Amino acid sequence: MQALSRRSTELGLIIMAGVITAAMYALASLGKNSIIPPVIVPFLIVMLGLLLVAHFATRKLARGADATLLPLAAMLHGIGYVMITRLNDHLAGLQTTWTFIAIAAYVGTLLVVQRVPDLARYKWTFFVLGAGLLLLPMVPGVGHSVGGARIWVRLGPINFQPGEFAKILLALFFAGYLYERRELIAASTWNLGPLRLPEPRHFMPIAVSWVFAVVVMVGQKDLGSSLLFFTLFVVMIWVATERATFLVIGFTLFGGAAYMAFRLFTHVQDRVHIWIDPWSQYQGKGYQIVQSMFAIGDGGIAGTGLGQGHPNLIPAVQNDFIFAAIAEEMGLIGATTVLIAFLLMVGAGLRIAMRAERPFEKLLAVGLTTLLGVQAFIIIGGVIRVVPLTGITLPFVSYGGSSLVANYVLLALLMRVSDSTSRRIGELPDDPTIAERYAAWQLRRTLSETTAS
Amino acid sequence: MNAHIRKLAAGLIVCYLVLFVQLNLLQVVKRPELASNPNNNRGVLRDFDKPRGPIVSADGVVVANSQPSADTKFKYQRTYPEGDLFANVTGYYTYGFGATKVEKKYSNVLAGNTGQQQLANITNIFSGQDNTGSVRLTMRADLQQVAKDALGDREGSVVVLDPKTGAVRAMWSYPTYDPNQVAVHDNTQAKNVLTFLNAAPGKPLLANAFQERYMPGSTFKIITTAIAIEAGAINFDSTWANETSFTPEQTTDPIENYNGHVCGGDLREVFRRSCNTPFARTAVLLGAETMVAGTKAWGIGDPIPFDLGGGAVSNFGEVSDFDNAIPKLAIRGFGQDDDSMVPLQMAMISATVANGGVSMKPYLVDATLDHQGRVLSQTKPSVWRTPITPQTAAMLNELMVGVVQNGTASCCLKLANGIQAAAKTGTAQLNAKGQQQRSHAWITAFAPAENPQYAVVVMLKGTTDEISAGTGGKLAGPIAKTILDFALAHPLG
Repeated sequence: MQALSRRSTELGLIIMAGVITAAMYALASLGKNSIIPPVIVPFLIVMLGLLLVAHFATRKLARGADATLLPLAAMLHGIGYVMITRLNDHLAGLQTTWTFIAIAAYVGTLLVVQRVPDLARYKWTFFVLGAGLLLLPMVPGVGHSVGGARIWVRLGPINFQPGEFAKILLALFFAGYLYERRELIAASTWNLGPLRLPEPRHFMPIAVSWVFAVVVMVGQKDLGSSLLFFTLFVVMIWVATERATFLVIGFTLFGGAAYMAFRLFTHVQDRVHIWIDPWSQYQGKGYQIVQSMFAIGDGGIAGTGLGQGHPNLIPAVQNDFIFAAIAEEMGLIGATTVLIAFLLMVGAGLRIAMRAERPFEKLLAVGLTTLLGVQAFIIIGGVIRVVPLTGITLPFVSYGGSSLVANYVLLALLMRVSDSTSRRIGELPDDPTIAERYAAWQLRRTLSETTAS
Repeated sequence: MNAHIRKLAAGLIVCYLVLFVQLNLLQVVKRPELASNPNNNRGVLRDFDKPRGPIVSADGVVVANSQPSADTKFKYQRTYPEGDLFANVTGYYTYGFGATKVEKKYSNVLAGNTGQQQLANITNIFSGQDNTGSVRLTMRADLQQVAKDALGDREGSVVVLDPKTGAVRAMWSYPTYDPNQVAVHDNTQAKNVLTFLNAAPGKPLLANAFQERYMPGSTFKIITTAIAIEAGAINFDSTWANETSFTPEQTTDPIENYNGHVCGGDLREVFRRSCNTPFARTAVLLGAETMVAGTKAWGIGDPIPFDLGGGAVSNFGEVSDFDNAIPKLAIRGFGQDDDSMVPLQMAMISATVANGGVSMKPYLVDATLDHQGRVLSQTKPSVWRTPITPQTAAMLNELMVGVVQNGTASCCLKLANGIQAAAKTGTAQLNAKGQQQRSHAWITAFAPAENPQYAVVVMLKGTTDEISAGTGGKLAGPIAKTILDFALAHPLG
């Protein structure tokens, strides 16, 4: 029963997220144009409708899944959507389209992926696809740069950031690869003086990941994705093998590569310099981060009020700097709300990982949660100058179709792992999936035909 | 693996805690520092997107307010409904070029940014409701208009004070400018207007009435006489011989009376006729130390304690200036050479005589009010200095009445309804002998003499032949009369 009441909890929370979003939407319009938007009622209906579609799909397809993840994502998505609308009407229209596609992707993922262990079988497919997507922007004629980073791919009319999808595919691959080999790696010993290290051949995967990270850093000038991708692998191998050696080796390797990049590439030096002292380069490269500081400072505790700040003074605010706009207009209270929402999602994700019984599911949940939590940390930290700024999106919040769709797929996979565990530990009857029923029906028919003849 | 997942959770919590700490640093601790960064124009932008309270004259005329903007750059446009009439008082409020005068000094009140206003409005902190304040001036728009019309297109300044309180009732300078042209939202246009005004002759952007100083001429004789009476050196019985000139020691260059007239007699006579030589002799008689100490007692050489601030400082000189320079002392004794007076301070000198020897601090902001009309601050009249005794003030009052009755102002300061005015004229010679004649025309006056309500100064700059050929009495006198007549006939409701 406990598992069943989760969906009612989720419904209640989703309605709250919807009401919060609608209220913010009205406030932003009031603050900006002093009118309650005439489309507020249709807006509320469409938005709640979309969220309810996601909810009922979950009710149907992943009844035992965690109750908080979807409402938290809905709230972050809502905050982001209101900020984008408030910043740029044109982008708001596009983001609406992406919202439909993202919800469809969520439902589609739940529908297609009904048995988690199936995923482990395709790990090498995921590796090839993931590595391919990761490197795709570097293919001449297909990839192109926007704002310095070569992370875009143009295929006919479709423009997207393959890295957003690559990270999920690689998390799937790592989970599949590591669950098979983790005991082997964990048990192996190589005594190097007083140190007990894993055998050198088990360093191969980490070396390959490192090469990928370096390629992304150098070839695409995308420090954020490089860091995110490598962190994902190091965290997963650390959790899988329970050997801290990998953490040390991983971050030493990445630190070394980052230092070399700093010495060799001016764009990396620029990033570090404007992180340490943006003020001296106010007129140049530091302009964006300085404006971000001003915006955040201006927000104070309660914020300027939605629609009443000047977030558009920050260049490209709707993508990487949307958090600064939130901190300006919603203040410390709103910004902390966003932080807590991500932290709650991280908590829910890791709880799913701990509850999961099968190592593959555990590792997958750890990987997906790490992606979400670390990506949000890297970009928020960059915007508020805790770490050097790297151009990646804030999950669910930033403008951008690739990011939104990919993160809803990520969410669906987490939900699937969570639901799978609920069934496995007997909270819910483990009903056969549609595919399984079909297979059973076919089997029965074959059997009956055999018997009949 | 669960132990490691817990460690991972702890690690991520630490990461997010770092973010939270940094947010607090930026949004709470460093907020004032960020806000005051010179590159940060968000504060100005914010102020431009909210209404700004009005500046209102004592007779209830709105001289600055904000109206919904016609352009899309900002939500509100600052306007000055009276055009140039209060430009020197309100100043202007611009996006790119800051603010001046009342707009600058009382910016926080007008924008609703004072702690007092925000505290009173704390319940509305989340709604961002309008809490702009307003500034009420002591100045009268009707009197200001009379002063403007009376001065016309002659360069100069008019100041009208309430001698009992120091409240400024009118303060006009010409040339001036229209702040509406500066407060435009188009930065380039505003810059062009300011560049033009900065280069324009007559310094229209400066409130000449208190931001410039001019040679006072014979109006300064009030000071010399006051110092001498206070020192016991002269009284009504003192007499000076008739003479055309006086040649002090250390020079062969004689000091002449106006137009080379023969001039002399008792104190009443030499004061009303404005002889030069008696006051030159008196200054020499008193000596540099007494003269300098006396002028300092009047506040000459000190910043005027004006609530708007930013005023010019009048000058007589230091004791050391007169070492081996007796002729300088003699000439400055009747308001020539390096003597310079701020018109506002010259009005304050009349006001001090009118107020029995007590000099009040001048002010033009009567009160600041919040958006509901509650008083935030009210200016209380306060004493600046007491340079002379009531007896000396009474004597100077009598001397100045003489100037109006049958002296240098007898032509021009007979007030309506037989009201008696008291005055001293000045014609400050700017040119050396043999050069083209250039002189400022001054009058400083108060009325009624027996119960003074208004003190006024009128100063016409010696920029034209017409002004330079005239005298303070003939040129400035009629303007003072017009203003005093109007003010006395139209008491402030």
